Amino acid sequence: MKLRLENFTKRFGALTVIEEMDLTVESGEMMALLGPSGCGKSTTLFAVCGIHKMSGGKLYFGDSDVTTLPAQERSVGVVFQNYALYPHMTVEQNIGFPLKVQRMSKSNIRAEVERLADLVQIGELLDRRPAQLSGGQQQRVALARAMIRKPDVLLLDEPLANLDAKLRLEMRSEIRRIQRETGITAILVTHDQVEAMSMCDRIALMRDGKIVQLDTPEQMYNNPRSQFVAGFLGNPPISFLPAMAGDVLSFGQGQTLARPPALEASGDVIVGIRPEHFGPQHGTGLRGEVTFVEPQGREELIDVRLDGGGEIRSILPAGEPVRVGQRIDWGVATESILAFGKNGDRL
Amino acid sequence: MTSRMLGIGFLSPAIIAASIFFLLPVLLTVMFAFTNMSTSTGIMGGDYRINTEQLRSVGETGISAESVEKLETAGFQITETGLAALADQFDEKVADELREDFLGESFAARRDLERVLRQLDDPIRKTRDRKAAADLFAVTIVGERFDTEEQFRAALSDTGINPADHDVLAEFAYTGWTWTTDNFKLLMELPSTVRFATNTAFYVVCTLTFNIIFGLFLAISTFYLPGKYANTFRAIWFLPRILPPVLYVLMWNWFTWDNGFIATVTGWFGVPPQNWMMQTAPRAWTVIILINGFVGASLGMILFSSAIKAIPSSMLYASEVDGANRWQQVRYIILPQMRWPILFMTSYQTLSLLTSFEYILLATDGGPGRTTEVWALAAYHTALNNYGGNLQYGLGAAYALALVFIGIALSVLYLRFFNFKELLAKPRIEQ
Repeated sequence: MKLRLENFTKRFGALTVIEEMDLTVESGEMMALLGPSGCGKSTTLFAVCGIHKMSGGKLYFGDSDVTTLPAQERSVGVVFQNYALYPHMTVEQNIGFPLKVQRMSKSNIRAEVERLADLVQIGELLDRRPAQLSGGQQQRVALARAMIRKPDVLLLDEPLANLDAKLRLEMRSEIRRIQRETGITAILVTHDQVEAMSMCDRIALMRDGKIVQLDTPEQMYNNPRSQFVAGFLGNPPISFLPAMAGDVLSFGQGQTLARPPALEASGDVIVGIRPEHFGPQHGTGLRGEVTFVEPQGREELIDVRLDGGGEIRSILPAGEPVRVGQRIDWGVATESILAFGKNGDRL
Repeated sequence: MTSRMLGIGFLSPAIIAASIFFLLPVLLTVMFAFTNMSTSTGIMGGDYRINTEQLRSVGETGISAESVEKLETAGFQITETGLAALADQFDEKVADELREDFLGESFAARRDLERVLRQLDDPIRKTRDRKAAADLFAVTIVGERFDTEEQFRAALSDTGINPADHDVLAEFAYTGWTWTTDNFKLLMELPSTVRFATNTAFYVVCTLTFNIIFGLFLAISTFYLPGKYANTFRAIWFLPRILPPVLYVLMWNWFTWDNGFIATVTGWFGVPPQNWMMQTAPRAWTVIILINGFVGASLGMILFSSAIKAIPSSMLYASEVDGANRWQQVRYIILPQMRWPILFMTSYQTLSLLTSFEYILLATDGGPGRTTEVWALAAYHTALNNYGGNLQYGLGAAYALALVFIGIALSVLYLRFFNFKELLAKPRIEQ
């Protein structure tokens, strides 16, 4: 079901956390609310599910206005960061709880619980208690409990934050699979750009209570609207270098790169170069000294201090003979260079 | 080795405190329970005496009728002491005559001596005088004090009492305390024992139920109030606990007595003024359960409130988005997680209610009649404060000892039944 926030404002006392925010999540879409901590993404989620009251604005599920409905009467399912499973209930009771409070008959609840347990693949764990489950299993139970009422909207609050790295990968694709299978409209709140990019159809990147860019993951990565967006997405992160845009981009001490074709401005700019766009495979152009090599198995991260000052990062396939202290002269994929003005806006 | 010494050193204040304030009182209670100490025996040793009042009950000890007779009539002997007294109060001539003819002679009965006095050359003529004169020669042990048992037995022999009865009489005449198990026999026999036990059970069960339910109600209702109001309410409900008991009960007296608040208000509607605390037993019980209940409920409120606050807020949020209303949230999420605090309060309050009686003492003092007299209060009344004035330390200690055993038995039961080890295990912080 389509979800629409209009002019959403949230204040805590005198502090305005979110002001006049608009957001539309299309039916069946999975939307990420991404941003650093304190940006207001969890506040938005709590307002959507009805735990926090909205200070201003409207919220629509489909065409119906649910702004003033209490959480109990909104059709939302929420997976909390710590899963918030009820410790005194079995898995079956946990999953069936939303139906139990609706006074559904026991046999119907049982049937629904089994359907959901099959969906999240925990059919054999129904008699256990949450304390007897691994993190990933608890996650699946929380997901099943959130989905059993067939809610209009599924809200996921940092669902992978408490899992170890391997489980996180597994649950990432699991959540996406379940969302696709059920076709439910979902909002994922996360501070992890990898999660947001890998799981969601679109990303709303938030900063200080505002959405700074709303786009597909590819667009947001390749075509960021500001320096903040470019810096937030990508791991290892993008490198920013001050440069002078004339006929060429000059970086001091005679180091220059060709102008990217799309760049129209001239003068002082900030140039963003992603690690994969800097390396020997792109020819030559920037000279410097390797200051750090971090092997990551399949790849190596390399930090380079340019002769004219400034740090730039590169990522290379493992096995490249690069050592700390080595002098290098590597090229840049000029067409992928991002340029920003002094105020951080994309040029 | 040194660290072990250090451990004992650190523990010693606790060990000393536990010994002085717990072990020693228990030991003394056990000791007193097996004595017949009372105000009349004192707590030091005693002496040997049989006074005139006791003569009436001496027959019940099982000594021979002859010995009783001997004790009562005692016999008369003409001695120099008696003669001196006679010379002093009556006539020296009579005394001299008596000395010449009868010195050292004994008379089994008073009338024998009286006949002698009448038949003297210079007789005592008035019957009343003769009786008084005869009494001067009485050699009874009644009313006389003997410091040791030997002296008492010697005196018994002098009186001519059958030696077979000496043991019984020595015991009968002893005024100090002795070791005995009679207290427990008495406890088993007294009908009031059952009464006090029933009272106590009723009091503990009702007050406990009130404590838990009202404490839970306060905790849950203040939990849903906005913070500022919640704290005000908690503070108000905490007053009964922090008020000095005397002041707190005094306020209840103002509230319930025949010139108090309830009587005044009901008086406006034509109800005759009456004591709403003491008029009838049900009223007295109601007031006592409320007085103690509010004190206990405030503790329950604090404990339960903190337990509710320990429930992760996300879990309550989750139940809300799962569609649970307030009542369902309380019923399915909050109450099930209050199991341990409730069990703890139940066991803790049972033990403290069993032994506490100060509020009852101050409010009804066990009345009307002895309808609200609980076991601990009975022990207090028996041993330390009663109308009769004869404080029976031994019997009171026996009452208290029974309470100690019930308390220990209940503690063990709670420890087993509620598996306190699990309760005391490492807390499970939010997973």
